Amino acid sequence: MGDWTGVLHLNAEDRKGKTVAKNVYFQGAFKVMRPIYHDDSGRACYYLLNPGGGYLDGDRYQMKISLAENAKMTLTTQGATKVYKTPTHFVYQESEISLQAGSYLEYFPDQLIAYQNAHYKQKNVFRMDPTATLLYTDIITPGWSPKGERFSYKTVQLLNEIYMDDELVVYDHLKLNPAVQNLPGLGFMEGFTHLGSMIVVDQKINNPFLDQLYSLIDENTFDYKVGLSSLQVPGFTIRIFANSTQNIEKIFLSIHRLISDEWFQAKQYSLRKY
Amino acid sequence: MDEKILALFQLCDSNFPTGAFSHSYGLESYIQENKVHNTETFTQWLKVYIHEQLIYSDGLAVLLTYQALEREDFQKVWKLDRLLTVQNLPRETREGCMRMGERMLELVQALYDIPILTAYRKRIENKQSFGHPAIVFTMVAHDLNVSNSDAILFYLYSVVSSMVQNAVRGIPLGQTAGQKVIRAIQPVLVKAAELIQQLNEEDFGIVSPGIELSQMRHERVNIRIFMS
Repeated sequence: MGDWTGVLHLNAEDRKGKTVAKNVYFQGAFKVMRPIYHDDSGRACYYLLNPGGGYLDGDRYQMKISLAENAKMTLTTQGATKVYKTPTHFVYQESEISLQAGSYLEYFPDQLIAYQNAHYKQKNVFRMDPTATLLYTDIITPGWSPKGERFSYKTVQLLNEIYMDDELVVYDHLKLNPAVQNLPGLGFMEGFTHLGSMIVVDQKINNPFLDQLYSLIDENTFDYKVGLSSLQVPGFTIRIFANSTQNIEKIFLSIHRLISDEWFQAKQYSLRKY
Repeated sequence: MDEKILALFQLCDSNFPTGAFSHSYGLESYIQENKVHNTETFTQWLKVYIHEQLIYSDGLAVLLTYQALEREDFQKVWKLDRLLTVQNLPRETREGCMRMGERMLELVQALYDIPILTAYRKRIENKQSFGHPAIVFTMVAHDLNVSNSDAILFYLYSVVSSMVQNAVRGIPLGQTAGQKVIRAIQPVLVKAAELIQQLNEEDFGIVSPGIELSQMRHERVNIRIFMS
C-alpha cells in the first residue's frame, strides 16, 4: 500500500501544558502548516493543505495523527476538499487517528465538493482512550457541475469507525449514489442540498447536556433540519440537512461554543481562513 | 423440510411477541410531518427503508451470521452483534433492537434447545453482547437447516409484515390496504434478498440520511404511539 499521492504523519505531545509536534512527516500532495496557538490553552491548531488544490483521478491520501497523553489539538483544512472527475479510479482518503488518555482532538475539515462524475471514498479510523475527547464534523455539498446541476457526482462514501479500548463503539457509514438513489426525495436529502454530520465522544456527555444542545436548535425553521442522538458510549451524533455550508457551520459553531463554555470556560476563537 | 419452514414461519408471524409492534423505525416522524399519509406514500417510504437501510444492516447481518455459523466462527457472530448495534446511531432504534433481540432470545429459548442461544444470552447478561433479532433469527434458521437465502427472505418478510401492521395502526390504513402493501412488496423482498447475496462486509451499515434523521428526530416527536 505504498503508492500514496500524499502522506501526512503527525505525532503531538503535551509539553508543560503546551501541545507541540513530536514528529511531523509529509510527502507528496499533502502538507501541514506550522501550528497556531489561538489562545493560552496550549491547544495547537494545525491547518492541512492540499497543494494540488484538489483530488484527481486515482489519488490516494493517507493521514496518521497521534495525540499523546493530554495533548490538545484542532485540526482543520485550509479550504474545501475538491474532488474532480475520476474517470478510471476513485479518490481515496484514509485517516488513522489515535487519542491517548486525556487528549483532546477537534477535527473540523471544510466541506466536501465532489465534481461531476467524481467517485470519492473516505475512511476515518479513530482509536481512543475512554478518557480522551473527540469532536468531528463533516459537510457534504451537492457538488459541482459546469451546468450547475446538483448531485452530479458518481459516489460519495464516508465511513467513520471509532474504537475505544479496541472495541468498536461507533460505526457511521454513508454512501450517496445519485444515479440510483433519488437524492432530493423522501428518505434521502428530502429537499435539502447539504448534509452535515458531527460526532462528539466524551465521558462528560449526559442527558441534561443533550437537552442543552436541543435548546440551540430551532425546530420550526425551514433553513435546516436536525437529528440528534446519543451514542452507545458517552457522546452524541448529529445530522443536519440545510441548503448551504454556512447554515450547517453556524450550528456546528454554536454547539462548539456550548462545549467550550461548559467544559473549558474557554473563549471561542474563529477558524476563518478567508 | 416443510416442517422446518413452518417452524421458521412461527418467528415471522407479526403476532410473535418480540415487541416489534411498538417500533416504527422513524416512520412515525414522517407520519407526524404528514409526509407519509396513505398507501402510496407509505409504500414509497417502505421501499426506501428496505433498500437504503434494512438490506445493509439486518439483511446483510443474516447473510454474514449464517456464514459464520456454518464455519462455527462464533467470534465473528459476536462481532456482527456489535457492528449491528453501534452502526445504529439513532438511540431509540438501537435500544429497540436490543430489547427485541433479548425478548426474541428468551422466547426461542423456551421453544428450542440450541447451545449458541444460551451462549448469546450469557454474553448479553455479562454485557459482552447487545442482542439483536436478526442474529437470534439466524441462529434458529441455521439450526433448523433452512438455507441462508430462505433465512434472509423470511427475515425481511417478518420485519416488513410487522411494519405494515404498524402503518395500519399509525397512519392509519385499512386492513385490506395493509394486506395489499404486503402482497405488492413481495417481489421487492425477493429482489432485496438477491441483492443481499451480492453484498459483502464493506457494504455493512450504509444508511440513507433521511431515514436516519427521521429515526433520530423521533426522540422529540410529541405525541407518539411507537417507541422509535
